[in-house]
Amino acid sequence: MIRSSEDIIVRTVSRILVPFIQLFALYVIAHGHHSPGGGFQGGVILGASLVLLLITYGPQETRRHISEKSLIAFGSLGVIVYSGIGLICLFLLGNYLDYGKLSGLLRVVPSEARSLGILGVEIGVGFTVMAIMFSIFFDISSGGKPPDDEKNNP
Amino acid sequence: MSTFFLTIGFGLCAFVFCVLYRVVFGPGVFNRIAAISAIGTKTLIILLIMGFIYDRVEMFVDISMVYALLNFIGVLAAAKFLGLETDL
Repeated sequence: MIRSSEDIIVRTVSRILVPFIQLFALYVIAHGHHSPGGGFQGGVILGASLVLLLITYGPQETRRHISEKSLIAFGSLGVIVYSGIGLICLFLLGNYLDYGKLSGLLRVVPSEARSLGILGVEIGVGFTVMAIMFSIFFDISSGGKPPDDEKNNP
Repeated sequence: MSTFFLTIGFGLCAFVFCVLYRVVFGPGVFNRIAAISAIGTKTLIILLIMGFIYDRVEMFVDISMVYALLNFIGVLAAAKFLGLETDL
């Protein structure tokens, strides 16, 4: 079981660092098709920022920021975004994830539609990877106990 | 200029092996954590030097920033794990 840290240095550094880590993760997701990175890597960095929050502030405080319910919602939302973009391409008489067909819907040229489609898919992957990574880490660190059990006897 | 960076890179690689000795044989767990942290820092600089050699620094800066962040979180998690009341 991870307890919250009393060390003021660790707490202050984490509080300052977490927003910048998340900003950098958004940069990695958004620039996935120009530089190394992409949905999975950005999602892992987003998850790492939440892990930093967990090992610094403890489970109760972290649960207040992001609950089990919202983690599952984020994980499902990512899958919906991914498969939704793929299915829209399917309904526009293309293959699954055939981004070029989105050009009619988005009113842009097909090459730009491909770039936007890949960006959308990567955002979905990033959501899912962040939620599932943090969920796995949280469940392992809490020993598999459900959240209600932690509330009763911390 | 490339020779300069290559020399520094290989020198840092040699130093990594010096620190690796401390990781493998080091007495106690805290020496090992400090040595792993030092290896992470050296790897970060080696990545930047590779960026200079390949002339794509802006790409390798991203990778090394991620490496620095994960190194920090890793050391913090190891220290947290050792802070628990267990016999090691």
